[in-house]
Amino acid sequence: MGNWERTGLRTITSLNFFSFPSLSSAGPISLLACGGAHVIALTSAGKVLTWGRGTSGQLGHGEIVNCTLNPKPLTSLESYFITYVSAGWSHSGFVSDTGCLFTCGDGLFGQLGHGDYRSLCSPVKVSFFVNQHVAQIACGMRHSLVLLKDCTLNQVYGFGSGKRGQLGISKDRIKSISLPEVTNGLEGVEIVGINANGDHSAALTVDGHLYTWGRGYNGLSDAHLPQRLGSSMCFTQATLGWNHGLALTGDGKVFMLGGNKHGVLSDPEKLSPAKQLPDSKESILDKVPGLDGIKVEHIAAGAEHSALVTENGEIKTWGWGEHGQLGLGDTCDQTCPVTVSLGYILNGAATVRVYCGSGFTFATVTPCILC
Amino acid sequence: MSYDDVEIEDMEWNEELQSYTYPCPCGDLFQITKEDLKLGEEIARCPSCSLYITVIYNIEDFLEQKSKKNLEPPKQQPVSVA
Repeated sequence: MGNWERTGLRTITSLNFFSFPSLSSAGPISLLACGGAHVIALTSAGKVLTWGRGTSGQLGHGEIVNCTLNPKPLTSLESYFITYVSAGWSHSGFVSDTGCLFTCGDGLFGQLGHGDYRSLCSPVKVSFFVNQHVAQIACGMRHSLVLLKDCTLNQVYGFGSGKRGQLGISKDRIKSISLPEVTNGLEGVEIVGINANGDHSAALTVDGHLYTWGRGYNGLSDAHLPQRLGSSMCFTQATLGWNHGLALTGDGKVFMLGGNKHGVLSDPEKLSPAKQLPDSKESILDKVPGLDGIKVEHIAAGAEHSALVTENGEIKTWGWGEHGQLGLGDTCDQTCPVTVSLGYILNGAATVRVYCGSGFTFATVTPCILC
Repeated sequence: MSYDDVEIEDMEWNEELQSYTYPCPCGDLFQITKEDLKLGEEIARCPSCSLYITVIYNIEDFLEQKSKKNLEPPKQQPVSVA
């Protein structure tokens, strides 16, 4: 596993190889969820490890801690086979193979979905979904989305802060709700993936259509109900930051939503005016520059930076770089994807994945014999 | 340039920091104290990075708290004319 992130002591600006004994003994990692300042690792054996900031109980180890430096197995979920995890700004969500949803961490905005505004330092089953099969959870800054499995009606639910429309439950402005409510405007479409970050929400349909709601991109007005992007393209993956989103097409092209501040945060002079069609309220997807002829396999968005993996296993990053989160050996911002030096040669076929949080990035390299 | 404009009601009071806070994209928190707000300061800074936000608030809401403590409202100082 490689990691480049800011620590309290120094800024790590290039890819560093980290060997966490507790992680390597846990087996191959199938998913990493990076939040505000904590990380949730899901192994292919359905086990969960967490580390990072734990001031709101988001690590789930039953205590409030400032910081846990090493990945720690989540013993309270040991009897479950966990299939999906998500990390928000300061809350966490876990889904089991039996469709149970557990949440912990900051609950001040109702984002844990238990019907109150309390924070929890151990994962607690969300009883609202006890008779349903949850497939995914997506945790944003102060809200959560839930996707149900094999459900043609009422597939997506939202709870937590709804001030910017990120719950998609009503045209009216909603401050916050602590019990899940159905996200409207997705009737008649089959959702296969959900995303949340900042005050943004998104859902991807089985046909590759992308719906977004929540805070408007590039200063456009907020969308209180899901809106399908007018694009005729077919997307296979979507990922959100705090002011941008990325979408990957089936043929490996990457498009960006919003992002007029992307890669220019440290240099406001370069800030471009928001791109907008005249008389249009619709956000525009721009093709990410510098990727001609390159087929992209995987994308990730942090709060203000982005990363991708090409079909050759090459990692490229761009966006805000002040904390070394681009892994390029400096703290510069980048407006176009730049290749990250892995620092070692991949031996044999391997699957490379990148995961971005708020100001930090992780990459996992899994030899294909373990995939 | 300000990273974002944030209403005071969207900020959280942090007892430990004695400040109103809001998440910073670096993982730390934008912070501003009540004293700063009483002085009319509208910039909340992040101690870990170069970013800052503009806090939208009504200064009277913070000055009121102060004047409640004083039984008599402050009298206007006479202007001395040379």
